[in-house]
Amino acid sequence: MALQPPSPQTSVPRDDTGNVVDAMLLDARVKWIAIVFEATAADGVDRFTVTPYVEDPTTGG
Amino acid sequence: MVRQVGAVLVVVMALGGCATEKTSSEQLARVAKDWSLSIRASQVIPVYPLTEDVQPGDVFLVQTPVEEQVKIYMDKGFLPLENLLTRLPVTGYAELYRGWPRVGDGEAAPPRQWQFPNPDATEPDFSRAPLAAFPTYKFSVSRSSGLSVAIPVQSVPVGLNLLDSASANGTITLKDAYTYAVPARKTYDAILSWSRANIGYLEQFEPAAATQDGKSTTKAFYLRVINRVYLVKTVDVSLFSNRGFGASGSAGVPQPVQLLNIANASDAANQFDAINQILAKASSPVGAGNAAAAGSVGEAPAPVAVGGSVKLAMATSRSVSFVETFHRPLVIGYLASDYAILKGGRLATPVPTLNTLEGHPVPASRAIAYQGCDANCLQIRGWLKAPGTKAKLEDWLQAQGGAISISDLETGDHADLRQRVVKELIEGSN
Repeated sequence: MALQPPSPQTSVPRDDTGNVVDAMLLDARVKWIAIVFEATAADGVDRFTVTPYVEDPTTGG
Repeated sequence: MVRQVGAVLVVVMALGGCATEKTSSEQLARVAKDWSLSIRASQVIPVYPLTEDVQPGDVFLVQTPVEEQVKIYMDKGFLPLENLLTRLPVTGYAELYRGWPRVGDGEAAPPRQWQFPNPDATEPDFSRAPLAAFPTYKFSVSRSSGLSVAIPVQSVPVGLNLLDSASANGTITLKDAYTYAVPARKTYDAILSWSRANIGYLEQFEPAAATQDGKSTTKAFYLRVINRVYLVKTVDVSLFSNRGFGASGSAGVPQPVQLLNIANASDAANQFDAINQILAKASSPVGAGNAAAAGSVGEAPAPVAVGGSVKLAMATSRSVSFVETFHRPLVIGYLASDYAILKGGRLATPVPTLNTLEGHPVPASRAIAYQGCDANCLQIRGWLKAPGTKAKLEDWLQAQGGAISISDLETGDHADLRQRVVKELIEGSN
């Protein structure tokens, strides 16, 4: 049984976004990753939603 | 005439739920499932039993794990609506139904202005509600199934008794169907606002460690928020007896009632009228027995009979057709979004309930909140740079319940699991 595909993660701080993307790409099924800016938190840190896709999100294929 | 009175007596017994046969729970479940499957085929999650009191913005606490929900949904055909937590004060009707007569927010929010067009109105007016349509639903029913208990419309057991048949095939046509919704974006805003105000309450439902089949797993809870409902006011039921011709001719056995004898049109009309009068009495909101009591000044109104009014529309020796009308349209199905309750009572991003239940591909799996990279996470990241460690970690995760991904492990809500990885894989290999 394969592992579950990586879940999207919300509120990822800018300085750890690269590491989260790295970890998601350890799953060979992940072909696309979307990084969407959420907001700048009160502590001044930019937060992002990092979403992995195993299918092309633009075409579904 | 004796036969006619006998048939009428049986009809009244069926309406009162006085079936004398032993009920079979398997048969009941089967009928409920057949009904629900037909609703489900229309990409709607069935409500069972039918109720008027479900509307967009209703929030249910779901304590059944997703895997178990899927199993229940597939086995029973419907999902029991669990604990109703609140009814969100949603807005957005005015924007969604711009230009639609008498639909707005606040006092004009559906369905109240359709249920109660004005304070003195006794009759609902759904003529301005958005229409919906459902395909005809076919079913089989047998007298041993407990008749009046599980079937959402009472015409079916009535018809079965009128046919004097042990089993029948039938069709149900859902007429006068309506639907309305609130934008999921609006319920999202409303549930987030509600969850912030009730975070202490939700905190008790944060994910909890559990053991299943000897494997450690996580028990998660969800909030299910209704976005759209489907209602039906009128149901047409046709029943066709499975009894063969001449099968009931032995002496002493009651003969089938010839409800429609074209050779004697006036008799047939009288029989129709007699049966419809009895059906009307038995299913009226205020039954004959308590009509006087209901009229007394200062007393509470009499309870409303379950189901709607049933009227015989057509009958032959082997088939009967009824029109059943509910006093007000009842909700038969809904669409909703699921919000997983995370650590600290926060809510995850919504996932359509139907996708969860039917395994439809979701663009991304359920989102989790980034928890930060703790000391164990940092240790795992460093360890993963060594050759062969990724495969070792994947094998270890597969052996655990849930088989979560490495990225979920590193920065998701899995502190205990990270601790075990460090102990069992990293420190254990040194």
